[in-house]
Amino acid sequence: MFENKFVGMALVLPGVLFAALVFLLPVGYLLAEGFQSADGWSFSPYIEFFSSERNRTVFLRTLKLGAMVTVVSTIIGYAAAWSIVSLKPTSRGRLIGLVILPLMISPVARTYAWIVILGRTGIVNQALMTIGLSDEPIRFLFTETAVFIGLLQLFLPLMILSLSSAMENMPADAVAAARVLGANPLQVFWKVILPLTREGLVIGGTLVFTGSLTAFITPAILGGSKVLMLETLLYQRVTVANDIASASVIAMILIVMSFCANQLLKRVATARGAK
Amino acid sequence: MISRFLQWTVLALTIGFLIGPFFIIVAAGLSAGESLAFPPQGLSLRWVIKVFQIDSFRDSFLLSMGLAIFGTLAALILGVPIAYALARYKLPFGETLRTIVSAPIIVPGIIVGLALLRYLVVPLNVEVVAALFAAHTALILPYAVRVVSASLSNLRSDIEEAAVLLGASRLGAFFRVVLPNIKSGILAAFILGFVTSFNQVPVSLFLSGPGVRTLPIDMISYLETTYDPSVAALSALLAFLSIAIVFVAERFLGFSRYV
Repeated sequence: MFENKFVGMALVLPGVLFAALVFLLPVGYLLAEGFQSADGWSFSPYIEFFSSERNRTVFLRTLKLGAMVTVVSTIIGYAAAWSIVSLKPTSRGRLIGLVILPLMISPVARTYAWIVILGRTGIVNQALMTIGLSDEPIRFLFTETAVFIGLLQLFLPLMILSLSSAMENMPADAVAAARVLGANPLQVFWKVILPLTREGLVIGGTLVFTGSLTAFITPAILGGSKVLMLETLLYQRVTVANDIASASVIAMILIVMSFCANQLLKRVATARGAK
Repeated sequence: MISRFLQWTVLALTIGFLIGPFFIIVAAGLSAGESLAFPPQGLSLRWVIKVFQIDSFRDSFLLSMGLAIFGTLAALILGVPIAYALARYKLPFGETLRTIVSAPIIVPGIIVGLALLRYLVVPLNVEVVAALFAAHTALILPYAVRVVSASLSNLRSDIEEAAVLLGASRLGAFFRVVLPNIKSGILAAFILGFVTSFNQVPVSLFLSGPGVRTLPIDMISYLETTYDPSVAALSALLAFLSIAIVFVAERFLGFSRYV
């Protein structure tokens, strides 16, 4: 009944052609420009990109912030998801709603709020000066800390959601059984909760890490030109210097890193699953 | 007892961190003062009113609405047949086709925007609005395919076969049996696509020109020059709009099942 492959292909084709034309071809062209020099194919844009210390700093900063946001959101995510899952179903639903809520708010608005909080006359500085911990406003904006906080708020919900749905699928008595058999909380976490929520951790981790690597608004607003990340560097190279070669290299780095993060986490998941 | 206390502390801190900034934006947008501040210097609606008087906000709001609505519709028109074919037919290269369609999720939006600008808009002299429309459609397509696939996988194919056996045409069976059954999935995909498109910045960044800008881009460029609370007021209005949409969707569709 569903044998007619031509009908199937005809259904798929318009969308695939559209994606190829609007997406694959242009992006492919852009990536190819990173392997061109005046005399044909070469790696020189890559060598040039990484020979600049400034570019290396941006590259390492992007990796570092991505890793930090992922690690911290994992820690908070486990604590929060555990607390949410142990609630009654009705309050659980409400709390999940509260976690989803910020995802629906424009990232511009969410990031912008941190300017009000962390700015020179922001709440944090006012509080610090009122209690007398500081005599003058401390500069938080345009620091890595500000970008870190902004990214954490942006992506933490994804981690909490992945972990709490993984925990809901855990066998109900696994933790209780481990406790009865004498495991301490740390052992319960390592031997029971972690293996059973591995898939949620992988999904959440991938979303948070790749999200942080490829975020644009947060570093643009909270980091400015002081704390460039790869995306903001790409934007700056194109708009300020019309430097397409650098943009192409950065595009390749971002795509490869997103892809590797996916693959690596997948592999970790299957390796631990095989044991 | 202690663990109960600890649990609520963790939750309060986390939710406070996630939602707190939103309340601050709302409060700052209702400020009577001249500049962005929290706590607000007196309450007033002056900045909310000002938002409606800024022409560029109105234009970019309409553009963003149009892109979100028509981009999502186009993505569904392309995406529903894909999801259906992937679910019901054994296609050669089925997985490859799925990868091609969902690739825009993996590739950062800013790269898609730049690539489109350089290789489509400039050489072929494509209108900016058309390019934005194509880019938003490509961006939403993967979500449309994914959400509709999820709701198709809950629908057994026998009821459709029964309809055909009873004399319906394949097309008739699709429109009268399949479509009504995946209606809520399609609506969920529409809402997800709408919110994604409306809030998205990087894809539109290179494609927006001086006269043609999406709302988030317009907000960012307004921020670069002015430090008054109107963007806070606008952000708060938009946030309430999204929350209202999602609330209604959740109420009537159980939207979160699909996300």
